[in-house]
Amino acid sequence: MKVLLVEDDQPLAEALAEALRNVGVLVEIAPDGKTADFQVSVECYDAIILDLGLPDGNGVQWLSGWRARGIDLPVLILTARERWSDKAAGFSAGADDYVTKPFETAEVLLRLRALIRRSHGHAHPIITVGDLTLDTHTGRFTYLGMPVSLSAQEFRLLSYLIHAAPRIVSRTELSEHVYDQDQEPDSNVIDVQISRLRKKLDSDSIRTVRGQGYCLPDHPTDP
Amino acid sequence: MNRHLLRKLPIASRMLATSLILVVLVIPVAGLLLSYNLREAVNTAFDERLESLLNVVLAGIEYDQQTDTLALNQRLGDARFDQVFSGWYWQISDNASRVLTSRSLWDQRLPLTAGPQLQYSTISGPNGETLRKLERDVRLPRLPVTLHVAVAADLSEVDAALVRFEQLLWLSLVSLGILLLLGIWCQLHWGLEPLRRIRSNLQAVEKGDCERLDTDLPEELNNLATAINTVLERDRQLMSRARTAAGNLAHAIKTPVSVMMTTTEQLPASQRETMVSELKRLNEAVRHHLARASAAGPVVLRPRVTLSVALEPVLNGISRLAERKNIAFQKPEVPPLQLQIDAQDLQEIVGNLLENALHWAKSTVVMAIFSEADNLLLSIMDDGPGMSSQSRDEALQRGGRLDEQRSGSGLGLAIVSELIQLYDGQLQLKPSPMGGLLVTVCLPCLAA
Repeated sequence: MKVLLVEDDQPLAEALAEALRNVGVLVEIAPDGKTADFQVSVECYDAIILDLGLPDGNGVQWLSGWRARGIDLPVLILTARERWSDKAAGFSAGADDYVTKPFETAEVLLRLRALIRRSHGHAHPIITVGDLTLDTHTGRFTYLGMPVSLSAQEFRLLSYLIHAAPRIVSRTELSEHVYDQDQEPDSNVIDVQISRLRKKLDSDSIRTVRGQGYCLPDHPTDP
Repeated sequence: MNRHLLRKLPIASRMLATSLILVVLVIPVAGLLLSYNLREAVNTAFDERLESLLNVVLAGIEYDQQTDTLALNQRLGDARFDQVFSGWYWQISDNASRVLTSRSLWDQRLPLTAGPQLQYSTISGPNGETLRKLERDVRLPRLPVTLHVAVAADLSEVDAALVRFEQLLWLSLVSLGILLLLGIWCQLHWGLEPLRRIRSNLQAVEKGDCERLDTDLPEELNNLATAINTVLERDRQLMSRARTAAGNLAHAIKTPVSVMMTTTEQLPASQRETMVSELKRLNEAVRHHLARASAAGPVVLRPRVTLSVALEPVLNGISRLAERKNIAFQKPEVPPLQLQIDAQDLQEIVGNLLENALHWAKSTVVMAIFSEADNLLLSIMDDGPGMSSQSRDEALQRGGRLDEQRSGSGLGLAIVSELIQLYDGQLQLKPSPMGGLLVTVCLPCLAA
């Protein structure tokens, strides 16, 4: 889960990013609308957390600009302004959800997960593909009913695959959504992590589609 | 009480009343005075004419001592003295049976009253006509007896002339009255036109057709309109400045509070609890006071608000939230109503109530909007856990905190309750037939 946090207040941005990273979310920070605008056009994110009071214009204006350009990433607005006139403007501009400051990280995380899940077309908070299940409320994987313990990167990788399933996900796409822009891996790292995941789950749990990428099969135990 | 009513009498009625009193009183009084004076003048002139006739008669009396006969050898120059019963008569008589009369008197005689002085009287003539009679006694040098001389003339021609004149007089006075009334109407219509203009202008401002009053008015009203415009402008600025300030303050306080909150989450549980509850208290105080500072309250001379325009963005936002939470929320049918309410206040009321309902609902939130008399009625119900009657009462208390445990909606109801009180409306919490809470709002804000 890779998220762009657009927040001009540096202490808050750092604190929230830190808290989100602690639960395995990949967070990049944009301190103003212009930077965010640039990053949105060159990077791949799963969601945007947008503060409304930015130094270079209202977040609502940036958001309507992105929506006009066809960027349909889920956007969670984070703002101190909680009057409904402000909220309504946010929703009209194309926001998907709204969290008012001060917030609890758990609340932000919950809403982020729900937004990302919905953006992949999953209405229900529990996603099941074959024998693998992800509870997006708690952020826990179970395989054949047993909890699976994963590192942050493994969690992001598997989480991206299960959200995208049954679509085939290319290595490039995976690396864009799972790894930081500074530490973009060669495909070897992805191969290593996939094989580690296969060990933790089952050798058939993640299927390699030659020349295209990976996918989670509906029925991994079938031949 | 009467004084109070008089003070409230419209300007047009005041002007009409005074003018009508003038017309109704002055014209008849003037008419009566004129007609009285004229009658006096005409009567005096008639009497004078009688007197000169009498003098002519007196001068013309001749007495022949040899024959002891009386004669009038002076022609009076008026043929009517020779026509029988023409109404113009003279008569000379002595105490004996000698009587000399005009031919017109024929066999009739004028009644006589003796006296040396000139005497006027009004009598009835031989034809039943009203006669004015002038008489006196006179002594001739060689005649031993006193002669009694009288002249009489018919008043009817004078009366006829007076009647004709009076008809003319009243006709002209009535025409004058009508002209005056027309003038008054013009005065009311044209003179008060600027007042009517300023009134329709005010209505236009109320309707929202324009933002300020026209200052294209006579000087006296121009100052008033300019003053009102200044007040309106300042009112608008004050409200928007208060809201901007509240928003900025919210931003300024809540951002650091958020940092503290996020940092606190990393602390060990024992320290975390106190910090979190204190931060929440701080936050709720800020929310509460900022919400109050941002409330506009009943609006004066502010554009009317179209219900659907004000609610649409809120309902869209709520629909999106409902979708995210997997809660069925059907957008209610919004009747085409014009409201006299601050749009943001209305959004705040509806938004907070719906957000609360979504927060507690298990699967469904239903909203209905309708109007009754001057009231806008809203009802919102959910199928959540509902509230006990005690907590319903508490929730309506000022600053009551319904759900301190769950952030984000604790103050919603209290803020809504205060806003509704500002508008003299009513907020009721009842158990909903769906199992949860039924919130009904009655706002007396329908624009006439």
